[in-house]
Amino acid sequence: MMVRMGQASNAADRRDRRFGYALAAPSLTVLFLIILFPVLSALFTSLHEYTLIAPNFDTFTGLANFKAALGDAEFRHSAWLTLRFVIGVVLLEFVIGFGVALMLNKVERFKPVYYAILLCPLLMNPVIVGLIWRMFLHPNLGIVNYLLGTIGISPVNWLGDTKIAIWTVILVDIWHQVSFMIVLLLAGLSSLPKEPYEAARVDGANAFQCFVHITLPMMRTVIIVTLLIRFIFAVKTYDLIYIMTRGGPGVATDLVSYFIYRTAFVSLNIGEASAMSILLLTAILALTAYLYRYMRSLN
Amino acid sequence: MLKKLLLGSVMALGFAGSASAETVSILMEGVPDTEYVKALVPEFTKETGIEVNLEVVNYAEMHTKLVPQLVAPKGSYSAIVVDFYWVGEFAKAGWMQPLDDRIKADNFDTSAYIPALMDLVGKVDGTTYMLPFYNYAMGLTYRTDLLADAKNQADFKAKYNMDLRVPQTWDEYLKQVEFFTKDGFYGVVNQGLRPDPIAMEWSNYLFANGGEYHDANWKPTLNTEAGVKAIEQYTTNINKYGPVGSASFGFDEAFNVMAQGKAYSYITYNFFRTSYDDPSKSAVVGKVEIMPVPGATPDKGGSLNGAWGWAIPKSSPNPDAAWTFLKWVESKEIAKKRALAGGSPTRTDVFDDPDVLAKYPYYPALKKLLLTSHNFAVFTYTPQLVEVLGRELSLAVAGEKSPQDALAAIEVEFTELAKKDGKLQ
Repeated sequence: MMVRMGQASNAADRRDRRFGYALAAPSLTVLFLIILFPVLSALFTSLHEYTLIAPNFDTFTGLANFKAALGDAEFRHSAWLTLRFVIGVVLLEFVIGFGVALMLNKVERFKPVYYAILLCPLLMNPVIVGLIWRMFLHPNLGIVNYLLGTIGISPVNWLGDTKIAIWTVILVDIWHQVSFMIVLLLAGLSSLPKEPYEAARVDGANAFQCFVHITLPMMRTVIIVTLLIRFIFAVKTYDLIYIMTRGGPGVATDLVSYFIYRTAFVSLNIGEASAMSILLLTAILALTAYLYRYMRSLN
Repeated sequence: MLKKLLLGSVMALGFAGSASAETVSILMEGVPDTEYVKALVPEFTKETGIEVNLEVVNYAEMHTKLVPQLVAPKGSYSAIVVDFYWVGEFAKAGWMQPLDDRIKADNFDTSAYIPALMDLVGKVDGTTYMLPFYNYAMGLTYRTDLLADAKNQADFKAKYNMDLRVPQTWDEYLKQVEFFTKDGFYGVVNQGLRPDPIAMEWSNYLFANGGEYHDANWKPTLNTEAGVKAIEQYTTNINKYGPVGSASFGFDEAFNVMAQGKAYSYITYNFFRTSYDDPSKSAVVGKVEIMPVPGATPDKGGSLNGAWGWAIPKSSPNPDAAWTFLKWVESKEIAKKRALAGGSPTRTDVFDDPDVLAKYPYYPALKKLLLTSHNFAVFTYTPQLVEVLGRELSLAVAGEKSPQDALAAIEVEFTELAKKDGKLQ
């Protein structure tokens, strides 16, 4: 009897599962078409000499496009610069974001007001952010240098100095994206159970010890997911560069996404641009896979 | 009976089809000259019954919107406007229809156009593909009130032992730049942003020093005395005689510095001339004039030429209607109306027209500017060359490369591109 019941429920399960797949099939197909197809098409293109002047797949070039990309000192420079930019942006935003999230977690009154203020930059289009800051940071007519001038600081060459420009872009990116970190980390913080903290207080732990031994370990998964999402977005930074510096002065802010864009739409060399995108995708995938496995190992 | 009825109704349908107005669609950039065309279009529709649909977008979007329509066998644009940047690429890819037969059949006079513009956005290797639409050649805009000031004149004479006047040569202009830089006021403002602002502006410095991009065989001629001097002067002007940050200015930011009365001069696109007299944009109304960028000697000019041309793409759904529109919009009468509205002309007869001259007294200067202007290196890979120029010039201005090294790097890449295009053997 038991066995037969088990079999029956198995059959029902299987029917359920099949029905589930059938329901999911349309959306899976759409996902396949809009995600996997472009990736495969880029891979195919990257193996051919495909330019917009002669848009055809007549010449198979194998790995020549990848070789050309990796042999290009400019591409390597922009990849290296992007790596440093991403680490800088993500770490700084994390530190600031976590700090603010911890403070906000304690706040009892006017929480929605703080949320609304914090979310404002996040809701803005990056192009608009870039344009606004370009005006703010105008060396002679901008408000930032004017305010600095009132306290006796001489005008800063925000976007025209090779040493300062990348930091200016990092600062603007932080202004724009830090609330993303705050919101995600705050959601994590507010879902933490209260009991461990009460127990720790009974044991005489101070606030710092509570943070290191309770908050951090319990928040680990949220932190990794937040860092991962932010990391992927940061690698794709393009709009800010396009609006604010065009990769200049010199090559000081020439991030890899903007470089790939130029290879595709200025040099019209879609084949090589696809190869570069595939390289970038591989790097991001590898890091994502590593972080994902690390996260799984924690649970 | 039934047959007749059917035939009749089919014919009726056919007539209805041809009677419903034909539409000419054109993709255009959102600039003043497009507005002047737009304002006149109802006249064309009244005359010919052809509707005109102008799709106006930002420059950055134009190329990406155009290419798919040009590659397709039947695109959606009847006519297009072509920046001189794209001429080489469009011609090489075979995207434009030759206009010579239409020009001949209709006796359209192309000799009215300023020759340099016809070379830039008209003919490619002897075949006419475009009609020059408007020019955006660069000129030197400068403060007339400062030149006329008696104290400035006396000080300048004492310092340089020459008169302070509208500069006749490039060296004289550079002395004025040095002279006017004092007490938080700048001799010059530059547009040093990568890639096209810096590349376009620097070209004037190259031409003013007597340099050119290439010789008759497309061999690059940049790493020369003229090229080195041009980079040195450009770097000095940005770092010593210009406002902080001009190494990253686009043209709007540089224009604002000039329009706020904080600089003596600015080399820029000639369509900005009208903006200086607009009180909502400028604090120096009536105090700024435009002239050709001076050359090594008074009879030579150093201005960079630039222009847009009208063309009919191979993929045009209705080339005949498109030609009717082009013929109309480029006729003397309509070109004059556009000029009177504030447009930048391309025809000599419009430049010499008494009504136009009465309204815009500085047009003789603009005409001289065009006649003495120099063309950029126009070939299939012009956009890439601009990228290379932007990068290397920006590195030189930032002091990370010597002028010689930057020019050598540009020459290497320019040579490669010219070879790839078959221009250089």
